[in-house]
Amino acid sequence: MWGFVKNAFTSRRDHADCSGCSLCLLVCPVWRKTRDITLTPHGRSKAMQHGDIDRAAIDHCSLCGACDPVCPEQIDVSGMTLKLRRRLVHPEAPALLARMEEMTAQPITTKHAPAKLLPDQALLDHPEMLSRVTRLLGMPVAEDEGMDIAMALESGVVIPAERMQRFMAPLRGTMRIVVANGLLLKHLKQVLPTKNIVSLGETLSGHEEVRRSLRASDLYVIESRAYHSDYQRLVKYYDGLRVDHGCSFNLDLQRIAIPATVRSLPQRLGAMPHDDDSQARWVLHGRNIARIVVENLEDCIALAKVSNIPVVHLAELAEDGARD
Amino acid sequence: MNIETLKYKRIEPGTVGPCHVGPDALVYLKRQQTNPSRWNGDNWQDFSSVLRERGVELRESAAIRGTFSTDAGGTAYGVPHGVVIARNAEQVSTLLKAAQQYRVPVTVRGGGLTTEGESVAFGGVLLDMTGMCRVLQIDIEALTVRTEGGIFWHSLAEELRRVNMDYLSAPLNLTSSVGGTLGVGGIDVNSPRLGCSADQAVALQVVTPTGEIVECSDAQNAELFQRVILGYGQFGVITEATLKIRPYTPLRMHYFYYDGLRSAIQDMQMLVSNDASDYSGILTIMDCAVNLLVAFDSDEREAAFKANWLPKLRGYGETGFALRMMLRYTLRPWKLGEAMFLYKRKRELFPELQRPEYMRDGKMHDRTVVFSRAVWKFWGSKQMVIPDLAMSADKFVEAVERGSKVCRKYFPHYTLYMVGIKLRPDHKPHYEMSCIPPDAEGWAYGCEFEPMIEGHVYSRDHLQSFKNEIYNIGVDLGGSYYRFGGMMKGYIRRVFGDEVVDRHLAMKRKADPAMILNRDVIF
Repeated sequence: MWGFVKNAFTSRRDHADCSGCSLCLLVCPVWRKTRDITLTPHGRSKAMQHGDIDRAAIDHCSLCGACDPVCPEQIDVSGMTLKLRRRLVHPEAPALLARMEEMTAQPITTKHAPAKLLPDQALLDHPEMLSRVTRLLGMPVAEDEGMDIAMALESGVVIPAERMQRFMAPLRGTMRIVVANGLLLKHLKQVLPTKNIVSLGETLSGHEEVRRSLRASDLYVIESRAYHSDYQRLVKYYDGLRVDHGCSFNLDLQRIAIPATVRSLPQRLGAMPHDDDSQARWVLHGRNIARIVVENLEDCIALAKVSNIPVVHLAELAEDGARD
Repeated sequence: MNIETLKYKRIEPGTVGPCHVGPDALVYLKRQQTNPSRWNGDNWQDFSSVLRERGVELRESAAIRGTFSTDAGGTAYGVPHGVVIARNAEQVSTLLKAAQQYRVPVTVRGGGLTTEGESVAFGGVLLDMTGMCRVLQIDIEALTVRTEGGIFWHSLAEELRRVNMDYLSAPLNLTSSVGGTLGVGGIDVNSPRLGCSADQAVALQVVTPTGEIVECSDAQNAELFQRVILGYGQFGVITEATLKIRPYTPLRMHYFYYDGLRSAIQDMQMLVSNDASDYSGILTIMDCAVNLLVAFDSDEREAAFKANWLPKLRGYGETGFALRMMLRYTLRPWKLGEAMFLYKRKRELFPELQRPEYMRDGKMHDRTVVFSRAVWKFWGSKQMVIPDLAMSADKFVEAVERGSKVCRKYFPHYTLYMVGIKLRPDHKPHYEMSCIPPDAEGWAYGCEFEPMIEGHVYSRDHLQSFKNEIYNIGVDLGGSYYRFGGMMKGYIRRVFGDEVVDRHLAMKRKADPAMILNRDVIF
């Protein structure tokens, strides 16, 4: 409760406070991909200070959140991008609103469970992996996965109150919510401050059987959105994992998670094809590793495409461990 | 009001604040361009058409031009007519050839960390070098790396670390670019031992102001190499650089605390001249909490320091210094405000320098990240002025003490950062008209005087008066400066003398007939 109160009264700094230090540039995967400063947080802030900003600069952001913890001015950088998206009516907005209306109208039966899983789209697309995750964690999938809400958050489309109520209703009686989508996780932590809401990656990596299977020759790929949204705590958590198991991480020298995928809003909405190869190669560049362990299934697919060593999801480690 | 000012009226006054001399003096004044009338846009349309015909992407949207409207200093403002993001040497060559032909100024920008407007374009083309930021080859046997010039030192470190290597010395700032640094110097806390960053360059690929792509080094086109290194961007654009590298090592840090500047500086100079440590530097809170930082790459060097030099240092440990400070301020209760500031600063800053994710087995990893993040977090601001003095060893204490008094006169709080720079006798020609003072032998010493802006808004007159007073010390004592370009270029003739400046100006005119490259920086 205190966290919510504190956040509510903390003044969030904005583009006007940007001093132009460029620390955000160093961690921005969009900058790595395009080398175009206008498509980065730095470029957006400076363009706004100058009074003019292009839609491309707003749409290109992948919302990985890497810029948030490194900003010395403590600007809510990804929040700033989301605000800009809310101000621009996106061409996909009507379709998303229609989808949310449709979801609102659907009846829902609330099953009481102490913990529930909110999977992301990649897990929903891979039912075998999803069932492995639920078995391992011993918790059911939430009745309403909120995929339309996650996409609305991403696009800056305002979520109707009725839809939000319908989504939240089955979660209110749940004490622990495990969330696979990093953006939805961040949002839920803000609107349900009293609940125990954790990322799927952190939950799986805390599982004893999973931990036992981590090896020093593994590259452990942290899901960037969840990590950056709770950076101060998680940077210590993963450093502990490194100390205990010796594996390396997709962290740069600033201890920021290098995402394996970089997707603009049009790519997220399916209007443009994915183009993750160069970013996935950068995650692996120069590393002497025998296996890649990922928290996020989307990263798993992107890394498997450019790598000739095994890429496994955390949930798969438990069974590997049992066989050992 | 001249026409040039009207051309730029879209920029809001922003940071111009009350003047301490005459509080109302600037209220009705529009902000003026630092250098308002050198070029009036002649030939721009012809130039931009030709550039596009030759395949160079020139971007003219308000958004991208606005992105580059100021530098890290935040006191000089200007917008280019167009921006070119550097992609390769051939493209830069095409740009510069066309710029010579149509006499259009080209301002080159790397990390944009200048504070005197040196990387701000007052019209013309802004060439954003960060587009050229690939590491081309790491040669672990030869201990060199070949990289593009626009790369940030941090990005270079990221790639080198994947193969457990590191650069030799680089600014304690993650977002300095390699090319920009080689053009002005680059100081690290290992510079007392390894020299400035510019001295670690083995070879360069340079695009001259007339568009030739030339490879240069001490052995090949040496004259161009001498002029480009520490040349403030006057004689070419660094598109590629070969730099020395070394195996990566974490550091064992030691901090010694002093309550005065003189003894700390003397102790640092003793360590430097005796090669007693791998890293050393001084970081202060005002002039009363002075921290001498000493660090080591190896246990052997640390042990030798402890045996031979530690007993000779006059600094205190943390507890001893705290007791001394308590006594000092108990006897001077009227300075309670200062004491509270020191205590608050210590409580905020110290944990940042010892973040657990960067400390392993008592050693600091990735020191540049630790220091740079702290620098931006605790000293960063939308306005920054960092006048500096570079001196020979024997004049350094006096220069710092005098500069510190100037800081106290202008600002309630400030920080000093001091470091030694080992000089390479064979690079003496590089050092002419640079930050290396002409009378320095063996080592030069530099001090940055950084006021803490702390959310205040100071007028440009106030900031300029402060900088001038610091720079006057340099003229008086016969030193040099790191930041003598842009708004401080009025000091160039005063400190280097007409003979040297005229000789360099003649070289510049020969190399850059239309005087298009970085024209507002030096000449």
